Amino acid sequence: MAGKNAKTTLGPIELEVITGTIRSAELEIEAAVERTSRSPMIRDQHDYRVALFDAKGRKLTGRSYSALVEPVFEYFDDGDIHPGDVFFWNDPYNSCGGIGHVPDLCTTVPIFHEERLIGFSQVFGHHDDVGGAVPGSLPVDARDMWAEGLVIPPIKLYDKGVLNEAAYKIVFRNSRLGEHLRGDVDAEIGAALLGSRRITAMAERYGIDALESAFDTILENCAATIRRELLPKIKNGTYTWEDFVECDGVERDKIHAFRLTMTKTDDKIFLDFSGTDPEAAGPINWPIDYADGKFIRKFMAPVLRSLADSPERAAEIDMNEGAIDVLEVKFPEKGTLVTPTFGKPTGMRFFLFLRVLGTFAGALAKATGGRMPADHETIRIWGMHGGRNQDEFYLFREVLGGGGPGRPWADGSDVVHIVPNSRNLPAEFSETRYPIRVEKLGLARDSAGAGYRRGGFGYNKQIRTLGDATLLSNADRSFINCYGVNGGKAGGLYGVTIEQPDGSEVEAPGMSDDRVVPAGGIVKLQTTGGGGWGDPLAREPELVCYDVLCGLVSPDAAQSDYGVVVAKDGNAFVVDEAATGALRTKLAAARGELNMFDRGPVVDDLRRKGEIDWPEGWQDPDEGWHAVDADGRSDAERAA
Amino acid sequence: MTLRVAIDTGGTFTDVVAIDDENGEQYVVKTPSTPSDPSVGLLNGVREIVEIAGRSGSDVGQLLHGSTTATNAVLEHKFDGLGLIVTKGFRHMIEIARQSVPDGYGNSFFWVKPPRLCPLHLVREAAARMDHNGEIIDELDEEGVVVAIDELVEQGVNCIGVCLLHSYANDAHEKRIGALIEERHPGVFYSLSSVVLPEYREYERAMTTLIDVLVKPYCKTYLQNAADEIRSEAGQIPFLIMQSNGGVVRHETAGGKPVTMLLSGPAAGVLGAIHMSRLAGFDDILTLDVGGTSTDISLVSKLTPQMTSYSMVEHYPVKTPMLDIVTVGTGGGSLAWVDDYGGLKVGPRSAGAVPGPICYSRGGTKPAVTDAAAVLGRLPDALVGGGLKLDIPSSQKAFDELGERFGMSAEEVAAGVFEIAAANMVHGIRQVSTTRGSDPGAYALVSFGGAGAMFATDVADFLGMKTVLSPPNPGNLSAYGLHVCDVKQDYIRTLVRQQSKADATEIEEQWRELEETGRAAVASEGVAPGDIELLRSADVRYVGEGHEVSVAIAAGKTGTHAIEFMWNDFHRVHDESFGFEYKGEQDVELVNLRVQAVGRASRPEVKKKLDTDAQASPSGTRNVFWRETGWIECPIYDRESLAIGQRVTGPTIVEEYGSTVVVPTSWSARADQYGNLILEKV
Repeated sequence: MAGKNAKTTLGPIELEVITGTIRSAELEIEAAVERTSRSPMIRDQHDYRVALFDAKGRKLTGRSYSALVEPVFEYFDDGDIHPGDVFFWNDPYNSCGGIGHVPDLCTTVPIFHEERLIGFSQVFGHHDDVGGAVPGSLPVDARDMWAEGLVIPPIKLYDKGVLNEAAYKIVFRNSRLGEHLRGDVDAEIGAALLGSRRITAMAERYGIDALESAFDTILENCAATIRRELLPKIKNGTYTWEDFVECDGVERDKIHAFRLTMTKTDDKIFLDFSGTDPEAAGPINWPIDYADGKFIRKFMAPVLRSLADSPERAAEIDMNEGAIDVLEVKFPEKGTLVTPTFGKPTGMRFFLFLRVLGTFAGALAKATGGRMPADHETIRIWGMHGGRNQDEFYLFREVLGGGGPGRPWADGSDVVHIVPNSRNLPAEFSETRYPIRVEKLGLARDSAGAGYRRGGFGYNKQIRTLGDATLLSNADRSFINCYGVNGGKAGGLYGVTIEQPDGSEVEAPGMSDDRVVPAGGIVKLQTTGGGGWGDPLAREPELVCYDVLCGLVSPDAAQSDYGVVVAKDGNAFVVDEAATGALRTKLAAARGELNMFDRGPVVDDLRRKGEIDWPEGWQDPDEGWHAVDADGRSDAERAA
Repeated sequence: MTLRVAIDTGGTFTDVVAIDDENGEQYVVKTPSTPSDPSVGLLNGVREIVEIAGRSGSDVGQLLHGSTTATNAVLEHKFDGLGLIVTKGFRHMIEIARQSVPDGYGNSFFWVKPPRLCPLHLVREAAARMDHNGEIIDELDEEGVVVAIDELVEQGVNCIGVCLLHSYANDAHEKRIGALIEERHPGVFYSLSSVVLPEYREYERAMTTLIDVLVKPYCKTYLQNAADEIRSEAGQIPFLIMQSNGGVVRHETAGGKPVTMLLSGPAAGVLGAIHMSRLAGFDDILTLDVGGTSTDISLVSKLTPQMTSYSMVEHYPVKTPMLDIVTVGTGGGSLAWVDDYGGLKVGPRSAGAVPGPICYSRGGTKPAVTDAAAVLGRLPDALVGGGLKLDIPSSQKAFDELGERFGMSAEEVAAGVFEIAAANMVHGIRQVSTTRGSDPGAYALVSFGGAGAMFATDVADFLGMKTVLSPPNPGNLSAYGLHVCDVKQDYIRTLVRQQSKADATEIEEQWRELEETGRAAVASEGVAPGDIELLRSADVRYVGEGHEVSVAIAAGKTGTHAIEFMWNDFHRVHDESFGFEYKGEQDVELVNLRVQAVGRASRPEVKKKLDTDAQASPSGTRNVFWRETGWIECPIYDRESLAIGQRVTGPTIVEEYGSTVVVPTSWSARADQYGNLILEKV
């Protein structure tokens, strides 16, 4: 029933089976990576991406953003792609924009059916250590990418099934955790090969023509879905927005703006990054101006899913390569944060990841009457390393999430991570493995941005070290808050403090990798709260009261942020309705018209002092934008 | 003169299969379930079957019971009155969960974290602290705990979960808290994490403990009700409850730790399939249990079902030893429908039992997989021995309309619906096979459930499987499977030790303790000492790996032999599971010690078919549509009439009461002496 006699035209049956098989294969590859990889960063924190592509390098799947296949085309001739090849790279400046920092080693295998190239299967992971100046390969003060680890341009790690042993040895010799790295890379290759077999089976069953037509249709359907369900919710026009990375680790007193001009037409969205600040001296650059911006277009598209009719529907919409038919990009001249010149450091480019997504969401908020989620900062890496010699060396490292964004349909979720299925490390695991003790695993009180739908709460996590250790903190948003939308308030900040054994406390910067924590000292971390959505004075008083009962919102903040007065009643709290009504009236009168965006006090202060330099043709993108009601009217418009 | 009675309680129906110990005669009854108190439906079933068998209640010698109702209790959000006590500093533990957002990248923008099982205002802290070796760092503040317990009860809590850090290593503080609850509030239910799941990873342990205590009042009550009634009619007979690990225990044991019955629903079917496969001579099988709305799939190697210890009930993780069963949302009642973008979908929407497929004439108006089978000629004019007349023209009409949308004939679309349904099942099979490192091509597919044999060869062809086993009475195999269950209890202890530094005496001592506990427990279930088996295994990994592999210790090995075996065999198992090993290169780490205590049950004899030389002829012919060849007039056989060893070749259909076996071109089927049909790819 299979084989060459199989049908060669695509019908609804073949399309459904092929679509389901691609999805199932993606899950199989993920399971194989998790089952066989070694580093906690990959298996528990899920910091890896899986993707299947067609022979043209178009991405067929949408669960994660993955890298690109373009480097294979660019660095190898057409005739030099063979069964058994494994392509391998991590070079941020030679990966067509697909790989952003050196710890991400990318494995790509071509898929063949009867000698014909029919696609690619790819896995890349964020590895524990690829060498460079500090353990973990993310030095906060790197001045070039060579300080960040071993850089591998696109090579064949296997050529027609034969291992390039020299390269293999060199790669693992250059890691502080070479055995872990080897295990991870072997796992990734095995997993990618597993996925390729599923695609081959579809070619055998239905024939190559039907398979390739299915690929076309899968991509077309994605673009059609965006155009039909999401674009009509965005008002045509041009909108500007910006957000900031606080610190580049080298020039510590400078903030860095990412700027976006979005133009929406009936069937397209144009994204222009002109006006973005110059490249940074430290490791926050992100080279994405390659291959027509294919990577960044696919990376940004999922933000649009928040405009779906419901969160359930949003989850169903698969953002594959079809999205690039809808999103066009324009880059500024060479030498900006997103167009850095060759060799600039990129280790902490994930700050820009989040700024890019958040800026797109901010521009969309303007174009949708504020119907977009607020901001959330949900990647930062912290850790400790210690040990007196290489045998004792340990690296305890965690990606800690933050509060999710408030949005029209719900409060932000507490402590989430933007990377799907990423898991924190259980205290019982950490204490068994590393010389530490988790003293507290909690939510940070009053960290959520206030709103009609408030943000999610950030972490309050405290860890005692049992031996001398060095602190790692790769974090942004330690003084510029996650913004609130449509009248919602900005969320709480990131902070890391070291409590010395004598009880004294020292604060460390968000970007640190040289602070010593003596044995018995405690590292106290607080992560960001999500921005709030909508007017906090409109939040149902009983919801505020419940947060007070749970200890998540203090009675003081209930009054100052929400205008809700609560009174203690035995073990419970009750709303003082009269006092609440009076206070809300007073607060509403005092604040004047409610702004569309709240970026928190530091940005307000910089603006007041005139310390934000807008490039020519730019002005403060928040100015003149006010919160609107469900009918799209601001307070002033409603009053008139 | 005794009757063994097995009752399989589902959400809608309760299936009862009784076996007469004397002559092997089987009796079958189906009766409505009574979810609010399942004991009512259970006892109805027992009374009915006793009557059909022409016996009295006092003839019942053993009662076996499996159920999905505990799962339903969780799914119906009966969370009221739940409280939790955790270690000081960890009050937000279940709010935080594992910080993970499911599925796609970008979901953190819009995804809403589901409500926690226990709301934050009903979580209290206990000042007490252990380290990972169970050494006490801070003693328990009993006064504080008493205040916490009293406050919870005052606020209406009647089920308390207790989960303290590292309690798997030292349960002293949890035990004390349990004693305080009992002392102060004897009516309040409680579960201790050190009893429910003495394994590290605090969030999953806390959730499992909460789910255990959540279903406790419900399970304990109905099991006790049933037991009391049974005692009054049949006297002191064993009343054994199916657990998710594939074994049975006394109802008192099950009620005391009900999380172990939570995912037992599909387990009995797998055991029934194993039993029939053993008789038919197949050791490595994949089970395909096709129900109305979904299909349960599991992998069995060397007649031993694959186990797992992690599952989700809705949004909530549950860790308990269980058969590794994956469920996909496609079954005989799944609907074929067109999505907003004109794509053809099959399931998870379902016609259910009511209104059912169109051809059942019970009010169904949307085409289901069963209607597709009718259109294709895979079904006879009437089902269940002629009792359910099928309205095939109405199915035909619905598929005509569906076909029109795609420019296809009714039968082309109907065949496509089978192709899609089979592909959905294939994805499920991948989850239990290739993602766990096994190649399905090396297994036989055992299909059961009412609709299983209609899909089996399609699924097998997708996966390159060469053999399908279709046991007799496939609709009752789950209830039948209860009859072949052993008594099983699992014991686990987390003991993280690296091979380079491990103390063999310590490991052996811990293992022996688990064995002694297990032996005593199984003996107390009424199993004779000679029938008790203790199976050691260990969860082991390379240092730094995220997942452990289970190393089964060869029977009879103890002491340093067992420990040496564990360290050495680990590399082999790792290679078998993952395709690589680092023997001699990397340090190995023990994570959990396990003991399964098994009390061997006596299994009922399967009645053999009478041998006859008469080869059955087809009972008739029917036009059947095949996707590759179109319509073919095919012979139809009556399954009962096939002689032992008789082989029929496809394309053909073999019919029996309640089920239809599809044998396509390039497949053949032969009957064995136990009533199995063995389908082989030719």
